[in-house]
Amino acid sequence: MQQKNTWLLPDGIEEVLPAEAKHLENLRRKLLDVFSCWGYSLVITPMIDYLDSLLTGSGHDLDLQTFKLTDQLSGEMLGIRADMTPQVARIDAHNLNNCAPARLCYVGTVLHTLGDPLEKTRSPMQIGAELYGHEGRESDVEVISLMLEMLAMSGLKNVHLDLGHVGIYRALSEQAELTDADEAALFDALQRKARPEIRELIEGLALDEQLKTMLLRLPELNGGYETLEQARVVFADAGDAVKRALADLQAIADQLAAAFPDLPLSFDLAELRGYRYHTGVVFAAFVPSVGREIARGGRYDNIGEVFGRARPATGFSADLKLLSVLSKDIIPLERPEIIFAPATDNRELAEKIRDLRAEGRTVIRELPGQTGNYKELGYTSILEKKNTDWVVKAIA
Amino acid sequence: MLTIAVSKGRIYEEALPLLEEAGIRPVDDPKTSRKLILQTTRDDVQLVIIRATDVPTFVEYGAADMGIAGKDVLLEHGAESLYEPLDLNIATCRLMTAAHKDAPDITRRVRVATKYVKTAKKYFAELGIQADIIKLYGSMELAPLVGLADCIVDLVDTGNTLKANGLEPRDLIMNISSRLVVNKAAMKMKHHAIQSLIDQFEKTLAKR
Repeated sequence: MQQKNTWLLPDGIEEVLPAEAKHLENLRRKLLDVFSCWGYSLVITPMIDYLDSLLTGSGHDLDLQTFKLTDQLSGEMLGIRADMTPQVARIDAHNLNNCAPARLCYVGTVLHTLGDPLEKTRSPMQIGAELYGHEGRESDVEVISLMLEMLAMSGLKNVHLDLGHVGIYRALSEQAELTDADEAALFDALQRKARPEIRELIEGLALDEQLKTMLLRLPELNGGYETLEQARVVFADAGDAVKRALADLQAIADQLAAAFPDLPLSFDLAELRGYRYHTGVVFAAFVPSVGREIARGGRYDNIGEVFGRARPATGFSADLKLLSVLSKDIIPLERPEIIFAPATDNRELAEKIRDLRAEGRTVIRELPGQTGNYKELGYTSILEKKNTDWVVKAIA
Repeated sequence: MLTIAVSKGRIYEEALPLLEEAGIRPVDDPKTSRKLILQTTRDDVQLVIIRATDVPTFVEYGAADMGIAGKDVLLEHGAESLYEPLDLNIATCRLMTAAHKDAPDITRRVRVATKYVKTAKKYFAELGIQADIIKLYGSMELAPLVGLADCIVDLVDTGNTLKANGLEPRDLIMNISSRLVVNKAAMKMKHHAIQSLIDQFEKTLAKR
């Protein structure tokens, strides 16, 4: 079938036009510079990879999201990356044989088969940073701080941070020894905080009362600082894993509150985003105009195990295209200088143009017989001959 | 400002007393007014009046912070990107299969007319029955009469429409009621306002 509208793009695939592309590229450079200043080294991961490596530890969600094809050379299944995090983890586990902490960052287009239900795009530009090799709260605080710095450098105001910890639900569900079907149903209901369904489910299970109460109260444990207070009461008789998780959250929150006194912080102990591969604290950043998180991350220890080396890991990622759109109205593009040079064939002119470009200034040479004069094209200056010299003259 | 999405009709009517208890009374009546955004007696709360099937979409995107939607709509929409903290127990009815009263029981491949495509497919798959779904937007009861489908999946309230058309309700798929749904980002950023409203609704429901 011949496609009639050859200009039409596939669903969720977009092109970025000059003004937006310039803004996006400026932002990309700025953010990579920030990451670099914090000691995070850039890595470039392959666009296409073995499916098995791409899906490591991530479970079903990423499997659905990954475009797949067969490698004609080997008959192996390949995938187009839908998430760069496993690839970066592999680099740390396999290529960097160093026991010291490793700090890596990355930016690149990923492809999703389904796209985000809200943003509609199927080709976000994932940007993120990961810190490997440290287990403590300090590394979580570092990546969260870097994420906040990234958002601040994007010019976003009123950023709101939400903290959770998947270790709490994990410990409770392990203690409950649920069947796979029950666990899946409970997980689904918890993600929706559908309390009536959760109650119905839990009351149908043979669990001790104490555990039932804890599971029932879990979806209610969200809100401000008081949430941690409530959680300590609810989980007073819980196991060590739960108490450790609460202590981690409290410590991380305290450190963040000290470093960012104006940052609105909230807690959600039933937040299970990325539950299948996260192992500890999870966090997400929100801004008022967007109905979902704009950056997120968390701890995912030992993901590198299948690649040969188990290491603690924590990190975050965001969609650079979304950040760029959100920041476009905030950071005004100054009208850039563009110098228009006549088509005249002249050695002094050619030298002048070369010198100007060497200074980093933009010079566009007229093409003989071209349509559109410099005013219509929005150029800011022209090159004019004054006596023997070529000089830049601003257009009034 | 909190924006609550509600659909016209039965859900709106039955939600009014709940809202009233929370001090929210719409200034205009959607029956007589053509306004789509209704101001209320509370300065910090407005209602948007939309189609029932659009409620999850508005709330998901954060175009409304909260909404009231039937469980049927939520199941069909796929509501994993929403919170649904409360069963408001209003606009209750049953989602059922129905067929011609002389039709045999369904045991093998079946043609089903419904507007609940996903829900019907899932229901029959769980029974081990292969179902061909025909999506209709209304007048489902007609489908078995004119040979378009073997049975239908639809909401049943009194059952009178079925009876009038020679159909009978068969199997209950699930009991339906309206749920309070909340945008995930709003739940975090406007936590205090939303949580106090949820608590208020819960208090009212407990008294019923």
